[in-house]
Amino acid sequence: MAERATETEFTLDAPAQSAAEEHGPAIQGRSPWYLAWRRLRKNYFAFFFLLLFLLIVVACALAPLYASHVAHTGPNENHILETVRVNGVPTDVVSPGGVINGKLTPSLPIGPTWFGAGGRFVLGADGPNGRDEAVRLLYGGRNSLIVGIGSSIFCVFFSVVLALLAGYFRGTTDFVITRFFDVMFAFPVVLLGIALGTALSISGFQHFGISIQAGSLWIPTIVISYVLIPYVGRPLRGQVLSLREKEFVEAAIAQGASPLRVMFSELLPNIASSVLVFFTLIIANNIVLEAALSFLGAGVQPPNPSWGTLISNGRDFIVTRPWLSLAPGIAIVLTVLSLNIFGDGLRDALDPRAKVKVEL
Amino acid sequence: MNRKNGWKLPLAAVALAVGLALIASACGGGGKKAATTTASTTTSSAGASKSFADFRIAYDTGIDFLDPGLSYTVQGWAIMWNVYLPLLGYKHVNGPDGATLVPYLAQSMPTVTSDGKTYTLTLRKGVKYSNGQPVKASDFKATIERDYKIDSPGVGFFGGIVGASDFAKTQKGNISGIVTNDSTGQITIHLTSPQGDFENILAMEFAAPLPASTPAKDQSTTPAPSTGPYMIQSYSPNKQAIVVRNPYFDASMYGGNVPAGNPDKMTIDIFGDASVALTRTLNGQEDYDFYQPPNDRLGELESKYANQIKLYTPANTFYFFMNTREPPFNNVKVRQAVNYAINRKALVRIYGGLATPTENVLPPTYPSYAKITMYPYNLAKAKQLVAASGTKGATVTIWGSNNESRRSPEATAYLQQVLKSLGYNAQLKIINAAVYWTTIGNQSTKAQIGFADWFQDYPHPLDWFDVLLNGERITQTHNNNYANFNDAAINSKIDTLKKEPELTNSVNNQWAQLDTEVMKQAPWAPYINQQGIDTFNSDIDLSCYVFNVNYQFDFSTICKK
Repeated sequence: MAERATETEFTLDAPAQSAAEEHGPAIQGRSPWYLAWRRLRKNYFAFFFLLLFLLIVVACALAPLYASHVAHTGPNENHILETVRVNGVPTDVVSPGGVINGKLTPSLPIGPTWFGAGGRFVLGADGPNGRDEAVRLLYGGRNSLIVGIGSSIFCVFFSVVLALLAGYFRGTTDFVITRFFDVMFAFPVVLLGIALGTALSISGFQHFGISIQAGSLWIPTIVISYVLIPYVGRPLRGQVLSLREKEFVEAAIAQGASPLRVMFSELLPNIASSVLVFFTLIIANNIVLEAALSFLGAGVQPPNPSWGTLISNGRDFIVTRPWLSLAPGIAIVLTVLSLNIFGDGLRDALDPRAKVKVEL
Repeated sequence: MNRKNGWKLPLAAVALAVGLALIASACGGGGKKAATTTASTTTSSAGASKSFADFRIAYDTGIDFLDPGLSYTVQGWAIMWNVYLPLLGYKHVNGPDGATLVPYLAQSMPTVTSDGKTYTLTLRKGVKYSNGQPVKASDFKATIERDYKIDSPGVGFFGGIVGASDFAKTQKGNISGIVTNDSTGQITIHLTSPQGDFENILAMEFAAPLPASTPAKDQSTTPAPSTGPYMIQSYSPNKQAIVVRNPYFDASMYGGNVPAGNPDKMTIDIFGDASVALTRTLNGQEDYDFYQPPNDRLGELESKYANQIKLYTPANTFYFFMNTREPPFNNVKVRQAVNYAINRKALVRIYGGLATPTENVLPPTYPSYAKITMYPYNLAKAKQLVAASGTKGATVTIWGSNNESRRSPEATAYLQQVLKSLGYNAQLKIINAAVYWTTIGNQSTKAQIGFADWFQDYPHPLDWFDVLLNGERITQTHNNNYANFNDAAINSKIDTLKKEPELTNSVNNQWAQLDTEVMKQAPWAPYINQQGIDTFNSDIDLSCYVFNVNYQFDFSTICKK
């Protein structure tokens, strides 16, 4: 029998040596990321909702294919005076209304044809303009997701940068950045979004050499990312401040690492898990905020569809055609729910308290 | 499955079910029959007063101002008609007689010199503002001068007064053509040339006297003292306006021309949603819905609430203006192309069928109307004209308001598709109705094309051609000639016809010819004359309903059962 290492000769290699002597399996180190992935992949619930979210994204991404090959119309094409054959019966896309034979007669858009019209108007028409609701739902999802994900990317990027700068440099830099956060916090998010969105939707953004036209999706993307920066930046700043005091940071500084290197090589990896979770959860939040701003006319501008504008447009027919508002509403619910549940699962998987420990 | 997450699936399912149930319950069900109102009412018997406590109105978002010097919308004037009295006004009656001018603050109709250039009126004695201050003759002069100082959209109506154009340029001194005497109450107005519609102009809200001390800035939210049976107690833009009785108004002074009014108070609640406004009215939470009902609820109104609605046809024209100063619409071929390309039948359907298609400036209710059929729907011809103009591919921004009553978002969305089919890069810009008119009426906006509508101020072709299409009345701000149409021959014709004291057959024929001449140059693409529906809750006695040809439904004369 090999001589065991004595307590005084204990090294970190001791467990591996013991395992080799006893012909046991080799001990392999696992990174926190691998362990997180292992925890996540066992969370079938979170994965189901990730799959649902991806399904929604793919469906919306394929909107042009649906529009050209199934519905044979674009999202903004009017079909006011057209008729379609629904199960062989010619039907007005928008029925004539007014005073007919002495009676007030409603003018109604066609209801769902459920593929009875060869793929046209599957969910009916959206209103007096006779636009295909299903096509607009998919295109609206594209716009909502583009704005939601795009604004999240910008929001998280700028939040991380500001948090790193504030947390690393502290002092005046931290003071200025934190006061910026405080000013932004003072404004209710929706009201600030409405104010900025409305102002920019009229004349666009023509400053600092940047030119963005009024109807561009960049406007709601920038507005939403801007108003939510402090909500991500502040908690990250707190984490960076805490990490800043750790010995490994001091060691890096003592070794002559530049501030940029310390921030991006030492601090950033340690807040990466939080950033990832924030990113996932804030996409859901931004999709809801975009819907709210578009509903109020301060987000995606007509006639471009988004889930928020579709809910708003459907109000005119809420009594006789409630699905015009319900369908985009349900789409928002499913998207946000799936992102939130997956985000929760991701957060559980990335819990730092579950990191590998050396056991003696 | 991770035990930690074991509870999440059932919880998520329950949350989803609850959410869907809440959405479904909010959407379900039509309106109930109108409930008993909470406002107390005076029991009505033969010969008794028809007054009642509170007339609750569901309003749309189209109020621009509640300052008589600035407001130029149906929404604003419908409220102010019974608040700020001009020297002259209209009878509060149904039918064509509602266009009859009668003295309001003036003792009698003006005496006019034989050359038609001097009008003399005398103020009624004892008239007071709602703050107890007596109304003076000099207040009228100060009011007109204030209109110029605040850049009122109505100043063009007073351009014919001697000294007005000088005052407009310098805003110093005073308008020499208005002479007043506070001790006798006499007001004398000298015109540079005769003007056939001047008495109608004196009946406009822009000419309603305000105290001379009224600041030369928007008084919408700090309402100026009023002379009418009502005063504006408060106004929160886009939220609510409260109108109450003017304690210093004495109906007996007006010989029946200005009724005291039946409601003691009017609560005007502003909603951004036509369906909400209608549902609240049918449920009894409001008494009257100012909105046009959503297209899909017409069947419900007909079948369940037929005795609570009034269908009316106001003198109006809906049109797309085309700015003749801005490319590509500075090219007449493009403007004519737009007229050929829009299918007016489709636009009628957008308005729920409650409209008639038109290519005219004037509405068909006018004796000077002669139907124009120059632009039958012809997309191929429109494309030929665009090709000939060499403007295909140009970027065009279409302006529209978010006013649901006027279907502006839908009409402009249709126009966008039409312009795209003509090969233009058409963008749509929808802005809030409350700021729409001042935005497109500002030359710095350079609005190329957009939605517009016009409801007559008074029944005279001058109110259309002179206000909307006379190049001499183009202004930098608060411009009403959105097309910036400025044709010297047409301006001259308008100025000539303006001097005609009466609308004889010959004069009407000339106006009809002018309509055709204007449409040959196509500064507009007129598309419909809209019909309207007034909806009331079941407590309202529609035998008291008065629809005035200028001011539409009269809020003051309505009564309750």
